[in-house]
Amino acid sequence: MFKIYFLTAWRSLLRNKSYSILNVAGLTLGITCSILLFLVIKYELSYDTFHSKADKIYRATTVSNYREGEARSSAAHYPLAELLRSNNNLGFANLTQVHGEEGGQVNILGNDGNAIKRFKEDAHIGFVEPEFFDIFDFETGANDPAQSLSEPNNVILTESIAQKYFEGENPVGRLIKFNNKLTLKVTGVIPDLPSNTDLPFSLFVSYKSFVDYSPYGDAKSWSSLSSTHHLYLVLPEGMTDKRATADLNALIKNHIPDKGANLPQETYALQPLSDLHFDAVLGNYSNRTVAREVIWSMAFVGLFLVIVACINFVNLATAQAIKRAREVGVRKVMGSSQLQLMLQFLGETFLITLTATLLSVVLTELVLPYLNELLELEIAFSILQDPALLFFMVAQVLLVTLFAGLYPALIMARFQPIAALKSRINTQKVAGLSMRSALVVLQFTICQVLIICTILVNEQMEFFKSKSLGFNKDAVVTVLLPTGEGKKLMPLRQELANHPAVRKVSLSSAPPSANITFTGNFKFDNSSEDVPFHANYKIADENYIDLYDMKLLAGRNYKESDSVAYVINETMRRKLGIESPSEAINKTIALGNGEVKGYIIGVVEDFHQNPLRDPIDPSILLANPNNYWFLSAKIDMNNKQEALQHLEKVYNKAYPDDVFDYEFLDESIARFYQDEARQNKLFKIFSIIAIFIGCLGLYGLVAFMAAQRTKEVGIRKVLGATMFNITVLFSKEFVKLVLIAFILAVPIAYYLMNKWLQDFTYRITLDYWPFILAGVVTLIIAIITMSSQAIKASLTNPVVSLKSE
Amino acid sequence: MKERIIETIRLQKKYVTDTVETTALAGVDIQICSGEFVAIMGPSGCGKSTLLNILGMLDTPTAGSLKFMGTEIASATEHQRANLRKENLGFIFQSFNLIDELTVQENVELPLFYQGLPKAEIKKRVDAALERVGIAHRRSHFPQQLSGGQQQRVAIARAVVGRPGLILADEPTGNLDSVHGREVMTLLSELNEDGATIVMVTHSPSDAEYAHRTINLLDGQVITERIHATSAAIAL
Repeated sequence: MFKIYFLTAWRSLLRNKSYSILNVAGLTLGITCSILLFLVIKYELSYDTFHSKADKIYRATTVSNYREGEARSSAAHYPLAELLRSNNNLGFANLTQVHGEEGGQVNILGNDGNAIKRFKEDAHIGFVEPEFFDIFDFETGANDPAQSLSEPNNVILTESIAQKYFEGENPVGRLIKFNNKLTLKVTGVIPDLPSNTDLPFSLFVSYKSFVDYSPYGDAKSWSSLSSTHHLYLVLPEGMTDKRATADLNALIKNHIPDKGANLPQETYALQPLSDLHFDAVLGNYSNRTVAREVIWSMAFVGLFLVIVACINFVNLATAQAIKRAREVGVRKVMGSSQLQLMLQFLGETFLITLTATLLSVVLTELVLPYLNELLELEIAFSILQDPALLFFMVAQVLLVTLFAGLYPALIMARFQPIAALKSRINTQKVAGLSMRSALVVLQFTICQVLIICTILVNEQMEFFKSKSLGFNKDAVVTVLLPTGEGKKLMPLRQELANHPAVRKVSLSSAPPSANITFTGNFKFDNSSEDVPFHANYKIADENYIDLYDMKLLAGRNYKESDSVAYVINETMRRKLGIESPSEAINKTIALGNGEVKGYIIGVVEDFHQNPLRDPIDPSILLANPNNYWFLSAKIDMNNKQEALQHLEKVYNKAYPDDVFDYEFLDESIARFYQDEARQNKLFKIFSIIAIFIGCLGLYGLVAFMAAQRTKEVGIRKVLGATMFNITVLFSKEFVKLVLIAFILAVPIAYYLMNKWLQDFTYRITLDYWPFILAGVVTLIIAIITMSSQAIKASLTNPVVSLKSE
Repeated sequence: MKERIIETIRLQKKYVTDTVETTALAGVDIQICSGEFVAIMGPSGCGKSTLLNILGMLDTPTAGSLKFMGTEIASATEHQRANLRKENLGFIFQSFNLIDELTVQENVELPLFYQGLPKAEIKKRVDAALERVGIAHRRSHFPQQLSGGQQQRVAIARAVVGRPGLILADEPTGNLDSVHGREVMTLLSELNEDGATIVMVTHSPSDAEYAHRTINLLDGQVITERIHATSAAIAL
């Protein structure tokens, strides 16, 4: 029985080739997109879920409670680990502290202790305790971290890093130097970590080495926090995170010093490991977070693409039902029941869906490498080794079969046998004309919402690129300097500037917009109380304001000879309640606990220190040569190579043990928005595909209607209708549907985009033109799709078309 | 006396639309006995096809009685009618109504599939039916590859393969030339001689001559019944 159903289905697909191709192509595209999105979502959700204690691991994060609200930090105070270990009775002893750095200078030392190879390493370096590997289930191979990380100045490398540094030689026992500071002995090699972890270290340095590496290494102070220093702990069986947080805060209460009424009181909040990948504010060591809303939008886009493809199927199948009417009649006369007929038609849908799914597997295989490249992911596609994917695909085949096949099957199985046999069933009589219209509207609503969202996301991206940041970021090269060599800096600056292609050089703690920020408390206008907000310090030399074209609104820039002079920004002025820029001049500011007192000598226009998601911070610009880690050079872009060569030459002379590495500031600022840019690309691609699938369906539907109305077209032509008249005749109905879809799409897209844009402090205003553009684009595409068929119908010789019935 | 297969009493069929009520059958009384070959004739629109559809349980009467093998089925449900149809009736249509996607053999197998017969039995019966109508050599062909006469022979094989108690033929030669038409009528006669009961709607007086009895309809009523001389022995 099934064989005959299968055969009928197969032959029927072959006989109606164009119909089958349209259906299979639409479904293949829809299903491929859904598989790709499923893989991306699954990958993003898989971060650090493979640890056996995953649901018990928490990160201790701090919350600073300001009067104006709270500020969260991923950091834990340095002495916390020691405190928890010594209070064993609380049950928090199963913990590990981590100091993570992204990249650094790595020199491979020869037997004589001299560097034989130098690397500017991009990989993540973690200072970890041996307990790290008890808490997190990373494979350690034959290595025992308890042994190899127990002593200071030990390091474990991952296999690929070991290969990179030692090229097949045995690395164990060899020495490397990190950031020209720490000499480390390689004590082990472990397999590479999986790509889906937010603890993506390639070098594991024993935490005991941290004492020699950082001034905070043996910090006993509860007053400083660094977002590079995390503490992870495993909650004991049966303890809730709520109780643990309460216990933790009770314990630290006596240790965190009271900073006075104006300064925030710090408390701890335990953050589940499963949150790390989705919290953009606190972030993680991989510097890669995905908002849960983005995961949801990807899921919805995937769902919509499949729905659009299913709608095609339903529309084409119900339109085609007439062609199958006689067969239904014959089968009914031969004794088939309605159920048997429905099963037969569902079987055909199953066959089409299965074919489309198999093609999708091939297409996914082909496309995935490009998607991985685009999203900078390492997603693998192996159905048989991935039960979740297999389940998803089987479930999808069944659901698509039901969703796409049930309605047409029901329509066809209900045909009355006599009417079916006498060809008395026509398009109008097939229930579903209004249903088809509703589905076309739904399809085009989805398409237009996607187009509007894509245009607006794109516009916001362009806004990021083009918005004035309050400083000039063009033609600026930045170089991170090796730390701790303050006295070398001034002659270096002089030498760097000594080339015609290098226009200006400045030294600072960071460029105006950067990931690195320094904040602190301060007192204002001789007050003994701290100001109730922190200032963002830009520690920079006197060339900084000039190099970055910052605009002075009052006063002057500081000079090398000024003892303690500050330049503030407009936001700072406003927050301090100073009426005008000129009134700010000569007011006093005392940084920290009042030790460094000085005068405001200038006010600059606001500049963005942070990505445009965030507001402008109140800032203080000040000079302090001990805190210059960045070199900024404004170069002549026409002589770019010469300028870079000069910078490199001078740098290498000053720092022979380090590798010269530079970055253009506009590129590093663009990276602030790389997550959004990636999402933008993804949505752009998928909305184009959605429209394409929608048009495939429309094309099929119009082609079918044209065939159905051959006789009508013939009569109209005999009576004098032109090609234009015929095109209008065909297009009228669908244009109406596209317009209805537009009316529905506008409020939906407006709501969604307004919500999305709320996350950005600096954002585009929602203009009417992207909406109009989306409507017009859809309409034009729809009309082009329809016209081709209408023109074909109108070119048919009326004599032929009139004979067709 | 032969067994009475079909009996209708004051059978009526009306089609009602928003504005018009059309009477297709206005009280038809007929009986058909096993082994009979009955032709139904009449001008276009007289109700012949409606009557055949009701006799074939493809349609329901508006009023009156319809007994099949002595059981009243005028108000049977679609499901009951489908089952009766499957087990007792064979259909032959003017336009053959073969399924284009199925081969000759598969078309003929179709009623047996729906009856749920075992594979071996299906094969045996289909082979016999194809042999009987002389089309066995074309069993793997698709309908479009056959001439009209050959297609109608396939349709006849399909109608008889389930060994139905009654074969209903709706203008079986209407789409055929005279040579192929005669072939088909001869085949039907032979089937009848082998024991099949046949009710045939036709426009063609010459085709009607093959039957034992002709019922003439006009405006939904039986106006005359003629028993053909050569077959008087079988009638009533």
